[in-house]
Amino acid sequence: MKRTCQILIALCLPLLFCGQAKAQHSGPYVGAFFGGNALMSAKSTDSLGNFGLTYKPGLQGSAVIGWDFEPGNPVGEGRIELEYTRRSNQLDRVKFADGSFVGGGTMTADSLLVNFYGVFHDNRRWAPYVGLGLGAARMEASDMIVTGEPLASGTNVVFAYQFGTGIDYALTKHWSIDLGYRFFGSTRPEFTEANGKKFKMDYYSHNAVLGLRFGF
Amino acid sequence: MRNLLWSGFLIMLVLSGCGWDGTPTRLNDFTKLTSLEIVATSPTIAALTSTKLTVKGNFSGIFTRDITSQVTWSTADLTIASFTNTAIPNAVTGHKPGNVVLTATVGNISNTFTLTVSNATVTALAITPANPSVPKGLTQQFAVTGTFSDASTQDVTLNATWASTDTTVATVSDAAGSKGLAQSLAIGSTQISATFGGISNTASLTVTAPVLQSIAVSTTTPSLLSLTSGTFQASGVYSDGTSVDVTSQVAWSSGNTSIATITTTGTATALSEGTTSISATYGGVTGSANLKVTGGHLTKITTSPATLTLVKGTNSALTATGTFSNNTARDITGLVSWSVANTGIATVTSPSGNLVWLKASSATTGTTTVTASYNTLSSTTSLTVTDPGLTSIAISLGTLDLTVGTTARLSVIATFNDGTTQDVTANCAWTTSDTTIAAVDNTQDSATIGRVSGVAAGSATITATYGGLNITSLVTVKTRTVQSLTINAVFGTTVATGGQLQMRATATYTDSANQDVTEDATWSIDTPSVAILTTSPYQTGLAVQPKLVMGVGTGTATLSATFGGKTQTTTITVQ
Repeated sequence: MKRTCQILIALCLPLLFCGQAKAQHSGPYVGAFFGGNALMSAKSTDSLGNFGLTYKPGLQGSAVIGWDFEPGNPVGEGRIELEYTRRSNQLDRVKFADGSFVGGGTMTADSLLVNFYGVFHDNRRWAPYVGLGLGAARMEASDMIVTGEPLASGTNVVFAYQFGTGIDYALTKHWSIDLGYRFFGSTRPEFTEANGKKFKMDYYSHNAVLGLRFGF
Repeated sequence: MRNLLWSGFLIMLVLSGCGWDGTPTRLNDFTKLTSLEIVATSPTIAALTSTKLTVKGNFSGIFTRDITSQVTWSTADLTIASFTNTAIPNAVTGHKPGNVVLTATVGNISNTFTLTVSNATVTALAITPANPSVPKGLTQQFAVTGTFSDASTQDVTLNATWASTDTTVATVSDAAGSKGLAQSLAIGSTQISATFGGISNTASLTVTAPVLQSIAVSTTTPSLLSLTSGTFQASGVYSDGTSVDVTSQVAWSSGNTSIATITTTGTATALSEGTTSISATYGGVTGSANLKVTGGHLTKITTSPATLTLVKGTNSALTATGTFSNNTARDITGLVSWSVANTGIATVTSPSGNLVWLKASSATTGTTTVTASYNTLSSTTSLTVTDPGLTSIAISLGTLDLTVGTTARLSVIATFNDGTTQDVTANCAWTTSDTTIAAVDNTQDSATIGRVSGVAAGSATITATYGGLNITSLVTVKTRTVQSLTINAVFGTTVATGGQLQMRATATYTDSANQDVTEDATWSIDTPSVAILTTSPYQTGLAVQPKLVMGVGTGTATLSATFGGKTQTTTITVQ
């Protein structure tokens, strides 16, 4: 329990950097985001050695439900939310000791995170924010191929995290748009190769998102 | 908005190229092998000779790779040629003249190669290299080429019989998988012969002195506190497996001289926190080991005492305490440079370790400044030398109870006619009435002057003489048996890196007497990378000086004290 409390306190630290609010929404909200993600070249490892997987940029979509903290909250200015995001990337190339080869197939990540954001409010409509999230992700390797031959497939649930920053813009008291950047990562998911061997790969992605939030 | 979106897309395209840029080690076994190509040095070999075949695999026309090791070989006619060398599976040997189809198979992919075995016979042999030299301990691969009756030449290394005339100098392998490989054993010369088809030839092999192949750098102090020193050793490993100490022959260097420097003899001085690589180079060969410096870097020096008044001709010990960037302080008396502004009034001597004596002139009074410095940092002590008249002297202990084999220090305080007093222990002449019972150290300028040792049971009188006055202490020495030993941590057993702890050892005897035996016990620490023992700076007036433990690196270490057949331990924790 003590460790859990420490983690929760650490997640709320971004809120300490934020100041008193002017007029702004407080209470529950929902939102939807879309954007693009750049999945970084991944080091993959099996019993025969290391190889690299390079992906094409892909799209992503998110749905959030959360709570805007009220102005003057002793914890700090910000919000806490539950976020579901689906990210999908096409495998572009596979790099072995023999060289780099054409790849194919899809890597999909469905993540569920609890995000803590600290928002820097002042008299303006726009307010920057920074935060981080923790949760889990279901990774799926679908029909991954190299030079037209089966490479790997499978699903794996792993621990996931993200760091986020961006700008909120209040359209009205209830509606706001959000332009943000997210760095998303996870522990190494494991998949099964076509030959039955297991391999693990890195998963780190840069994400740019544009979203709309409605506060009740 | 469109530009913003495109910019964002392009940025993500660039970012997706970021990530792992290491070198892959795994081979591609996903792309299907679609064909094989067999390569032979020659499609024709003489009977009774061998040749190696290699196989290149073509993977769907995308890439090729040598897959010789994966091949299963077969022959259409075992009487003409076969694969009989189990040590070299891809070597085919011709048995009798004729043509034979050889097949290489990997999985369900195969290819063939037609080998012709001729009836040519060998007429001459040539060994290469002809007359090589090799350092002792190393190997030399020989090959032999046959000239045949059809004017062809062919490598017959795998088929010849190899021998060495002097196997104490070198042997040569005649085994199927290593034919012609000579192993040098001793300095000298031998003849290496190859025989095939009734023809022989020889080559001279000279074995020379072994060559240096690597240097192993080692130290007993891989972690050092800043401003302290440690020694490194270098051992040269030669081709014959022998090791030679080359510490004084190598060129020493430090990768980061702001962290530590090293002398030409291998003594490293730690300067500031961090890790540096200590290298030793000799004969074009380099070896290295890491040195970790702990305890921050020196930020301030404080000398003690800050002001001092000494009577003409007397001594006082000086100490320097260093304050470091990790908020620790430790004694650096022996590590700083000491100087006196007016050496006519006083001088500074450092007999050993961290003992520094400030000696007031016996001829002149006056004031001067004593400076302790390290690089750009310094601290000063103001000294005034006076010349009052001596009134009386007093000794610290009029009676002293000692156990045989133990020690205690006596000190003498002089009182002068100006009302001042001063410890004059180091300026007394010390004598004992009976050296067979109790001895006293009378070594001038030593850290142990005035220290009494119990030699044998009995009584003796210790006399200190200063300025014409005498004072005595009656020492009673007893024979006792140690019942138990206790370690006392004066300020606890946990210390920061670079900090120091004071330790004392107390012996309890069977007659219930207790005695501080800190200076008589044997101390040790099992993990010098965590904590080390150092000598306490000289403290006037103490009957027994404490033992200092200095924290070097985080972790725990076991401190042991042994006295009178008893051993006690305690755990030191460095944070």
